[in-house]
Amino acid sequence: MLEFLIQNNIVCHAVEAMLFASIACSVLAVVITQINISSIGFTMAHAAFAGAAVGIFFSINATLAAILAGLIVAVLLGPLSERAKISPDTALGVMFGMTMAIAIFFIAYMQSLGRGFDASGLMFGDVVSLFREEIYGLAVISIVTILFIIIFYKEITAIIFNQKIAEAAGIRVRPVYYAMLFMIALTVALCINIIGGLLLYVWLVTPAAIAVQFCNSIKQMFIVAPIIGAIVSVSGALTGLEYGLPVSPLTAVLFSILFAAAIILSPRRRISMRKE
Amino acid sequence: MSIHGQKDNAVVVLDHVFTAYEGAEHPTIRDLSLTIKQGEYVIIGGPNGAGKTTLLETINGMLPITHGKATICGMALAGDGVHVRQKVGYLIQNFAFSPLTPFTVRDVVMMGRYGGLGLFTRPGDADYRAAEEAMKSLGVEDMADIPIGQLSGGQQQKVLIAHNLAKNPRVLLLDEPFSNLDLFARERISHLLESLAKKGVTIIIVSHAFDDLPDRPIHILVMKNGTLIHDTTCAPGDVEAQVRKSSA
Repeated sequence: MLEFLIQNNIVCHAVEAMLFASIACSVLAVVITQINISSIGFTMAHAAFAGAAVGIFFSINATLAAILAGLIVAVLLGPLSERAKISPDTALGVMFGMTMAIAIFFIAYMQSLGRGFDASGLMFGDVVSLFREEIYGLAVISIVTILFIIIFYKEITAIIFNQKIAEAAGIRVRPVYYAMLFMIALTVALCINIIGGLLLYVWLVTPAAIAVQFCNSIKQMFIVAPIIGAIVSVSGALTGLEYGLPVSPLTAVLFSILFAAAIILSPRRRISMRKE
Repeated sequence: MSIHGQKDNAVVVLDHVFTAYEGAEHPTIRDLSLTIKQGEYVIIGGPNGAGKTTLLETINGMLPITHGKATICGMALAGDGVHVRQKVGYLIQNFAFSPLTPFTVRDVVMMGRYGGLGLFTRPGDADYRAAEEAMKSLGVEDMADIPIGQLSGGQQQKVLIAHNLAKNPRVLLLDEPFSNLDLFARERISHLLESLAKKGVTIIIVSHAFDDLPDRPIHILVMKNGTLIHDTTCAPGDVEAQVRKSSA
């Protein structure tokens, strides 16, 4: 898609993958950080990681298995915390531990069977060995994510503001909330090969955490966060490939440096010294 | 005339209603029957934990009715109650917004219109006009572009009342609306509620403060242990005495 800009095919594919993954993740990061469900993003990233490991073990498509695992977590999350009378945080903690254990079990078992499975791609991402179909999948998910936000903008923003007030206003909170979880699960599963299960969390939180330092409205955040995500991710991909550095970890570090700078420079944290 | 002798202009009719919070073993509201007519100014009193807020959340359908029947604005309260909430405003108690909340006053007031629009429908000119009018009626129009988290508690309270007014509710439920407000804001909101009641909006307030009541008959409901122990109408000057006497 971007061959007209970048001649080298490997670099071009890596940049495309990082661009689309970062747009989808950064848009959802606004939702995740503003509803304070960062733990959900974290758990889903690990569920997708576990799903992919299970998929590889049973020779099923890893991406499909990751999507399925993410969806199972999304479906179980609400009822588990509601019906089991435990806090969502505890439910997430249990699920996180379980998914991580499943992932490690299958990875270790495959290695003990001598199946020569290298889990580093799943854990830390791999931007250079992607199939073209995976990049198309990422392009589609980034477009679908943006359309989802546009179509349900008023419901999503009301839920982000305050779920109880949204419900009292007559908004159908529950179906939209579960649709948001579904979108997060789908995006996480599709991005796991590029960014990695252990680092995906950075993409699902930090772009929005940076954007909120400079934005007064949620609309601005939905525009600024993906721009930040895309610029940092593409810069990370180009720099990593140019100097032979691991792309995902490098980009995650860049995000963190930018976040520290944003905190220092944030006009929303500045104390005015004006007398008038 | 129908149950409990209410007239046709009844907007809230609860008939032997029981309500329970999800997971609770015992009902929070038990065998409660009442009728509230259109345009009435209702005060709900009673000690802490009596079920006053639960009653408000029963009327707007946020809590499930386990036994009995409820009819709000002519609609039977069933399912998730979302249709009722599109006609009923509800000012919640105990809210706090971070200074970094990325929602301006205008955004929050506009959200009051969203429920009535339904999925897939975007707000139109009429919605923006209704939001502007609601902001003006509460005197918060000059703060329209300020993030709500940067306002004081009292200003936030006014914005949330404007949010509820924006939907042109037939019934307005307010949980401690005068807390956080200064003297002038209390007077302003009290006058506003009185004018709304005159226009036919039913005002139902949970409050421990009985100043600033309008000069009109006040319908008093006193709750204790999840049941209604007193249901009468009196002059505004007698409200506190009535609530004290029945709560004792």
